[in-house]
Amino acid sequence: MMHNPLRPTSPLRLVDAPPAPSSATPQPIIRVEDLSIVFDAQRGQIIAVDRVSLDVMSGEFVSLVGPSGCGKSTLLNAMAGLERPFEGQVMVAGGPMLGRRPDVGMVFQQPHLFPWKSVRRNVAHGPRALGKSKTEALRIADDLIEMIGLTRFASAYPHTLSGGMQQRVAIARALANQPRVLLMDEPFGALDAQTRAVMQDNLLELRDRINATIVFVTHDIDEAILLSDRVLIMSAGPGRILRDLCVNLPRPRSSAILTDPAYLALKRDCLDLIRTEGRKAFEQMETAT
Amino acid sequence: MSAGGRARANAARRLSVLVGALSVPAFVGLWELVARSRIVNAVLFPPPSTVAVAVLDWIHSGQFFGDLSASLFRVTAGFAIGATAGIVLGVLTGEFRLVSSLLSPLFHILRPIPPIAFVPIVILWFGLSETGKLFLVVWGVFFTVWLATHIGVHKVDRGLIRAALMLGTPRRQMLSEIVLLGALPYIVVGLRTAVSISFYTLVAAELAGAFAGIVYRIEIAQQNMQTGQVMGGLAALGLLSFVADRSFAAIAERAVWWR
Repeated sequence: MMHNPLRPTSPLRLVDAPPAPSSATPQPIIRVEDLSIVFDAQRGQIIAVDRVSLDVMSGEFVSLVGPSGCGKSTLLNAMAGLERPFEGQVMVAGGPMLGRRPDVGMVFQQPHLFPWKSVRRNVAHGPRALGKSKTEALRIADDLIEMIGLTRFASAYPHTLSGGMQQRVAIARALANQPRVLLMDEPFGALDAQTRAVMQDNLLELRDRINATIVFVTHDIDEAILLSDRVLIMSAGPGRILRDLCVNLPRPRSSAILTDPAYLALKRDCLDLIRTEGRKAFEQMETAT
Repeated sequence: MSAGGRARANAARRLSVLVGALSVPAFVGLWELVARSRIVNAVLFPPPSTVAVAVLDWIHSGQFFGDLSASLFRVTAGFAIGATAGIVLGVLTGEFRLVSSLLSPLFHILRPIPPIAFVPIVILWFGLSETGKLFLVVWGVFFTVWLATHIGVHKVDRGLIRAALMLGTPRRQMLSEIVLLGALPYIVVGLRTAVSISFYTLVAAELAGAFAGIVYRIEIAQQNMQTGQVMGGLAALGLLSFVADRSFAAIAERAVWWR
């Protein structure tokens, strides 16, 4: 991870991520090799992901950005083992994504909390499923609920909580198994603008306290630059990675940088990139948003 | 709303409560008057007082509780067996394609046949035994609950399943907790329909020949021209079925508390 200080004399620009360093450095925690995913549709087959290869290093925060239907969620689902590769493979922490992999956690666009369980029991579900004792599972849950600031609502049921609170519970639930990899599929996409900004700040804080590699899918370029170390820009039809960009903004960050001139320069570069390299994708994004 | 408007709304509400409370007594009173006025044949259309006397006699003779427990046993045991089988098989056919391919076509052929139509063959198979009566109630309850569960399992939020998968939920817990509770709102609707079906099939089962039971008593009374007893039996059956439906609704409300 790079932590370049912000220098006014040399305006920050997006730079291409350096090629993966050789042997001496740690192995990537996620390795996607020549991955293609094909869906059967009524009018033949649709290639959702087309020969994508990428590495994510341990501890990195990587965003997948692209227009609706570019295959970014499909790619993420493949990393989660929820989607079967047509070709190629996905290795996470040295193993294929087959069967139960509680070391990989996932947060979806909708919270998908178990409606019959209280906040505590929702968060304790993972540890319980992995065979931890009830006391231990609830202790883990209580710690996480405190971390997301919902202790007052620990015994509340999901339907009594606001969308933002539900999504915080969903994040805590995904963290309860102490995953090495946390996959997030547009987790703030369904929230209103104010709540989204608060959630982004929360996630930035949370990230410093948990020890997980994060892959984050979004169609919001602001969100991607704000949160990530690397932004992968995808194009639609078929899903490919156009560019792999480093975000050399200093940390700790907060949503306050969204108005910073250096940040705006980055965003402009990013949009130019999309415009020049992915005209088609950009037009689709216009219609989707 | 103005003070006058609110007062008018309150008066209207009070009036409708009053009318509602008077509905049944007014009907019974009218019935009594008509039956006693000799406009109709009092033997065929006995007044409520005669019905009440018949019911009291029924209770004093000691037969009432025997009849009640016989009918209640058939309904509850049949319901319990049919509902359990319906839920278990509904989860299996809903979740496993192969089980569904094996059983669903068969169930869909058998389901539309009214359970009452099975009375003749049930008498051939089981005679007048309790097994035959249970069989009819189980048969009626099973298909309704099976179909509701099967559909409910298909309607379980895929997101919940995926979330549970990502948390490492074992297969068994997935079926017994996530799928079952996810489908519960549908299952409960099926179960409530099955409550009234269990009473329909009870009637058919007892009419086909029994030695005790509320419907059996109605039939005997009819043969003896005891119309008061017949109506008393109908009232008892109606009350029983009403109480069963209402208590089930109350239980269902608590079972799906998160809705």
